[in-house]
Amino acid sequence: MIKVDSLKHTFTIGKKGKENRVEVLKGINFNIESKEIVAIVGKSGSGKSTLLQILAGFLKADSGSIIINNTEIAHFSEKESAAFRMNHFGFVFQNFQLLPGQTVFENIELPLKLKGIRQPVRKKKVQEILKKVGLMEVEDHYPNELSGGQQQRVAIARAMITNPPIILADEPTGSLDSQTEQDILLLIQQLNKNEGITFVIITHDEEVASIANRKLRMSDGFLVGGTKYAF
Amino acid sequence: MLFKDQILFVLQHMKKNKLRVTMTVLATMIGCSFLIVLASIGFGIQETMRNEILNQEQITQIELWGNETLSDEDKTFIEKIEHVNVVLKKESINGYIHSKFEDREGDSNGVFIDMAAQKKLPTNLSEGRLPEAENEIIVGYHYAQSLFNETDNAEIERKSKAAQEQGSYYDGSEEGYKGEILNKTVELQFVDDATEEYSEPKPYTIVGILKKPSYDWYIDSSIMFSDTLKNAYPSITTSSTTLIYVDSLEHVLPVLDILKENNYQVYSQVEQLEELDLFFLIFKLGLVFIGTIAILIASIGIFNTMTMAVTERTREIGVLKAIGASPNLIQRLFLMESTFIGILGTILAIGVSYFISFLANAILPHIVSYALSDESIMEHDITFSIIPFSLIIIAGSISILVAIFSGWRPARKATKIQVINALRQEL
Repeated sequence: MIKVDSLKHTFTIGKKGKENRVEVLKGINFNIESKEIVAIVGKSGSGKSTLLQILAGFLKADSGSIIINNTEIAHFSEKESAAFRMNHFGFVFQNFQLLPGQTVFENIELPLKLKGIRQPVRKKKVQEILKKVGLMEVEDHYPNELSGGQQQRVAIARAMITNPPIILADEPTGSLDSQTEQDILLLIQQLNKNEGITFVIITHDEEVASIANRKLRMSDGFLVGGTKYAF
Repeated sequence: MLFKDQILFVLQHMKKNKLRVTMTVLATMIGCSFLIVLASIGFGIQETMRNEILNQEQITQIELWGNETLSDEDKTFIEKIEHVNVVLKKESINGYIHSKFEDREGDSNGVFIDMAAQKKLPTNLSEGRLPEAENEIIVGYHYAQSLFNETDNAEIERKSKAAQEQGSYYDGSEEGYKGEILNKTVELQFVDDATEEYSEPKPYTIVGILKKPSYDWYIDSSIMFSDTLKNAYPSITTSSTTLIYVDSLEHVLPVLDILKENNYQVYSQVEQLEELDLFFLIFKLGLVFIGTIAILIASIGIFNTMTMAVTERTREIGVLKAIGASPNLIQRLFLMESTFIGILGTILAIGVSYFISFLANAILPHIVSYALSDESIMEHDITFSIIPFSLIIIAGSISILVAIFSGWRPARKATKIQVINALRQEL
């Protein structure tokens, strides 16, 4: 499903004229199969977040290849990346990234709106998903009226509303207490099992990584451990 | 994203920033109304002057100049030109006509007219008919009013003195003959200006009275004779003018051209209208230019509002991009917002401009008349402001285009926002 080959990326940082080039990804190779939960673990600055951003198309790799469902996406334009994201990815972020001025219903509905789906269909789909993540009671609430766990459930619901084959999660439980963390991890496992969604989770938390079928460990821009290839 | 959803999305954001959006809409409204009202003054003054010219004389009339009397050959040539209906010779008598009627007397200008040609023209009489015999005349609308007896003269002198003391002027309009003058016989004498010699008094019957002049201030006490009478007074000198009447307004200029090509000295009010239109076209363009500056100033407000909107919504733009919104969609959403501001401001401006225009036309004549202490201004049909549909289209387009243009750069800025940087922004 996802095949990454020789992926390299360098950041240029510092004042103009005194720039420093920092090689963040130094040739990454791995693959991920459909319906897997893969955790990419590593310390801060190991390059795991950069890897996720390149997978998502937020950043462009300097070199290498990313093939997702037989499509090479590493050299996509911004417009092509956006269209590809809409159809293939859902996103879950550490700080939820919900739109504060929109209700739970409207936040979840947003990707469907972007896809140009009509209102009656949207309503039906959102209500189905609200049931799945257990948020029927709060559909008219605003994000700031919800707990951290509820907000992350909304974010997960938004990520899966368009039935994407892959959900990319960046520290999905980073802002949650341990009890809520367990709830969210359970939800991820259920969705993976019941809906067949592939999860790629970036985390530094070993407990979060423990729900994964495979772990990819990153250190200093390299994949240093774990099973790089699914068999 | 469906177009309907895009509109709802934009309206939702505008609603959230009600105060800022309202102030920007107001700024746009003021700019656009300034443009419309300013240009409407150009249209108003132009219309007033056009009407003034159109009222002055018949607009299908061409005046032929020249000291020499028009020869029969010339007359035939002109009459043969296509669209020329009538060639009318008028000979103004040098000197004046002294009238006696009952115990009243008065002096008037006199004109010999080719009555056969005059008959072909639409009637210029308020009552009666054109003369058919040499002893029949037609008189100006105010002829009877300018026949005074001694009582009238004394009264006029008294009223003039009183008016003079108050710093004004009395025109004698309350005196004069008040009865019916049509079909009455008056005794007329031709008076030579230079020698003050009076001709033999002869009776003439008034068979027609001219229409009231289009200007209220103009007193018409003239007398018109049939030109056949001229032979009976060979010593009378005249100044002749020839008027050529064309069938319709659009044929005046082609006929003028033919006459000019044949070396006739001709003049028509239509030429004056053309010059006037050109002058006002430039004048109105100048006003539109000044008004556009006001809109450009308002556009700075739109630019600010949209830049603020983009800055405030950076994280939201990041989220939208992350979940698949294309750069084009982001740009379109912001452009739609600035367009809405432009459209709202323009619609309000149109309403406000019509209101200001109405007020200006209702109040300004009073103010001007009061300021100049001249009540006659109120009698003139002066329009200070006219808003034609074309002005609404031009001003509306300028306003909306400027609004779109002001939102363009902030919208471009929104598309350049990096998802990662946007998502890192604090709540």
